[in-house]
Amino acid sequence: MTDYGHDLRFGSFITPANAAPQQVVAVTQAAEEAGLDLATFQDHPYQPRFLDTWTLLSYVAARTERIHLSGNVLNLPLRPPAVLARAAASLDLLSGGRFELGLGAGGFWDAIAAMGGRRLSPGQAVDALSEAIDVIRGVWDADNREPLRVHGTYYQVDGAKRGPAPAHPVGIWLGAYKPRMLRLIGRKADGWLPTLAYLDSLRDIADGNAVIDEAAAGAGRDPRAIRRQLNVGGQFRTASSDRLLAGPPEQWAEQLAALALEYGVADFMLASDDPQALAVFGEQVAPAVRELVAAERAR
Amino acid sequence: MSGAPDLAGRVADGWSVALTGLAPDARRAGLAAVDDGARTAGRDPREVHRLATIGGPVSADTLEALAGEGFGVLVLATADPDEVRAFAGLVPEVRARVAAARAQAGVRVGTVRSAAVRARRRPGIDYDAIPASLADRAVEPGDAQYGGVRSNYLRGGSPGLVLRPRTTAEVVDALAYVRGQDVPLGVRSGGHGVSGRSTNDGGIVIDLGALNSIEVLDEATRRVRIGPGARWGEVARALHPHGWAITSGDYGGVGVGGLATAGGIGFMAREHGLTIDHVRAVEMVLADGSVVHADETRHPDLFWGVRGAGSALGIVTAFEFEADEVGLLGFAQLTLDASDTAGLLQAYGEVVEAAPRDVTAFLILGPPRRGQPAVARIMATVDSDDPDTIIDRLQPLADIGPLLDQQVVLTPYPGIIALPDPGPHQGQGEPATRSGLVEHITPEFAQAAERFLRSGATYFFQFRSVGGAVADVPPEATAYASRSANFSAVASAAAGAAWTRRGTRWPGTSAGSTGASRPTAVPAGCSTRTRPRRCGGCAR
Ligand SMILES: Cc1cc2nc3c(=O)[nH]c(=O)nc-3n(C[C@H](O)[C@H](O)[C@H](O)COP(=O)(O)OP(=O)(O)OC[C@H]3O[C@@H](n4cnc5c(N)ncnc54)[C@H](O)[C@@H]3O)c2cc1C
Repeated sequence: MTDYGHDLRFGSFITPANAAPQQVVAVTQAAEEAGLDLATFQDHPYQPRFLDTWTLLSYVAARTERIHLSGNVLNLPLRPPAVLARAAASLDLLSGGRFELGLGAGGFWDAIAAMGGRRLSPGQAVDALSEAIDVIRGVWDADNREPLRVHGTYYQVDGAKRGPAPAHPVGIWLGAYKPRMLRLIGRKADGWLPTLAYLDSLRDIADGNAVIDEAAAGAGRDPRAIRRQLNVGGQFRTASSDRLLAGPPEQWAEQLAALALEYGVADFMLASDDPQALAVFGEQVAPAVRELVAAERAR
Repeated sequence: MSGAPDLAGRVADGWSVALTGLAPDARRAGLAAVDDGARTAGRDPREVHRLATIGGPVSADTLEALAGEGFGVLVLATADPDEVRAFAGLVPEVRARVAAARAQAGVRVGTVRSAAVRARRRPGIDYDAIPASLADRAVEPGDAQYGGVRSNYLRGGSPGLVLRPRTTAEVVDALAYVRGQDVPLGVRSGGHGVSGRSTNDGGIVIDLGALNSIEVLDEATRRVRIGPGARWGEVARALHPHGWAITSGDYGGVGVGGLATAGGIGFMAREHGLTIDHVRAVEMVLADGSVVHADETRHPDLFWGVRGAGSALGIVTAFEFEADEVGLLGFAQLTLDASDTAGLLQAYGEVVEAAPRDVTAFLILGPPRRGQPAVARIMATVDSDDPDTIIDRLQPLADIGPLLDQQVVLTPYPGIIALPDPGPHQGQGEPATRSGLVEHITPEFAQAAERFLRSGATYFFQFRSVGGAVADVPPEATAYASRSANFSAVASAAAGAAWTRRGTRWPGTSAGSTGASRPTAVPAGCSTRTRPRRCGGCAR
């Protein structure tokens, strides 16, 4: 039960369906209008019904002004890390420091292989992700005059020039559930981004935090360097209920405040393509959670 | 593709070459290699574009010469805005010179479709004669976009050509072209037509989807101008911020063009009439290509006909509507046990006819599922934001049979007109639909309807209330004549169902249909195969 004291951020988790491309853009703009801090998109480059997430991120960056953008999470196996690092830095520069790098090890290996990607075991994929983070941070380290060399098992970079540096410190957030990934987060990442629906219970958050904190400490890092994040879904209803996130905005606020204070979660991404739900989340829930959490922290 | 010009000729859509440091001979050899590569692969060399990247500064003479060699795309390599501006300044002159040279040499301008695409062309259509204004957006069977435009909502289609004009002038061009082609023509706005005439097999479709603007002309008189390609869900959302709505259908994907030329029996029909009753003027293109504006004073006969039989008269390119002020509405979905189908239907008819005009209801029957009672679903709108009034109005409807489920919400109009499903229409096959207008749901009609339903002949049998404001408009005022009906009945079946053949009697209509010309049969205009002359309210 830890509160890491992070400022709270509220975001959206928007489906990048390509059937009506401009609708996705409109929902993203609605998220910005609702005052949300983040618009995030899943990335399944083998899914023909989705817009390519990278292209979408670039496009919505040009069509929004304030909101931060991220993959939730980008599919590393189909996005070579050295190029990804420069692409991320470029988008951060173009958008005025509004890009964050949500990254995943990949999971649907048949589909990845069908796209020409390399099939890895889950364990190998974690190691590959670890190497990729080294590549990415190495590319961003523009002040370093030494050519970048990463001699990994999965990724090799041999004397690449470094840069550009992003406009702001781009957070590397990992979508993760299992201990190996959690330990990697503790060692190298800036955020832990699981989806509530994939957790067995809230205990998983507390347990995951403990693993991350221990790995961070082991790597000489402050556990507070890692943001705890959560993709959430739910329904806004007039009547309150005893279920998580199924009720009026006030009930949502109380439940999310509890997640922040007791489980350390600081970034909440609402999975919804409904502008009205995003408006309720941004305009009613977010301020109420902030107020509850600030009051509790001040005590 | 740069480099290997021969490879570009064989497989690519363009050959891109940087001219800096390239000798003219090498450049010409490259162009020739593209041609040879294309011919080797059985392609027309014109399928392959030629792109040249040149270092500045350049002159109009240089550009004209390169265009003459076959470079259709000329790109300046520079990071200097002044050089870009100077280059752009040359463009009009270069275009004019090239156009003149081509005209003199008799060169046809346009993109040549690949041999693979040309192989899928349909007979009877002169593809080379498609007007330049429409050629770029035209879609033919071999094109990648074809899957997205071939079908409409309910039916599959295989047109030989889909033209997609963006302006009235382009509609005129399209009609001029189509007049010379000896194939069927379909006109499509939203593609929700029930008849299937908005797609076809081997013919041409003029798709008006791009004429979809929604524009307020006058706040005081609530006058709005709407293109035929707009969808009613979009219209509902665009008018809502003004506190207005136009009664349309029950589904937001339906197009403005088809509905506003036919009738438009919607969730506010008894209170606000048909959609066509809100049309104040139209702009349309007639078969001879003339553009006319019709309203009560200009071309009044045409204006009469376009409201009910518009599709037989021309292509409407813009509608002017007078919207209504509409606030929150009560919207109910009731599910009732319809074991006593005839009894329920008759009670429904009586309750609806007795209800004040602020109530409009749709009742849908499906065939009973095995082991379960037949159910009726009612969707009813009450034009009131007062919960007590809403409940008062709905109670009699809820009492017509055993109530299994109910849901009532207070919602603005867009809340009941869903947005269209995104993406192309995926209709398949040839579903059959018949509709007719019914004065009263008499016991005989109700019993016939029950027998019809139990025979399994239809999977969707709907009874919408009309009457009320619909009947305020005199029958002779518009081409939608059957104003005295209280109900519109629609039945759908799978392809080929015997009862849907032309001339078959509407079940039990002897006691109540109001088809103006043939009171005991399905109104002629509602056949799926005939033209909808004076089609009284048929859902097309
Ligand atoms: C799911 C669904 C729900 C529906 N709900 C309702 C409802 O609640 N109430 C109701 O009244 N009807 C309803 N309908 C029927 C619908 O209103 C008609 O089919 C209407 O014609 C569809 O319009 P559209 O523009 O989408 O169709 P399209 O298929 O594009 O056009 C239908 C026909 O109209 C003609 N047409 C289209 N545009 C023009 C134009 N600009 N100028 C001249 N003629 C033109 C053409 O002949 C064309 O074949 C529904 C249909 C569906 C599929």
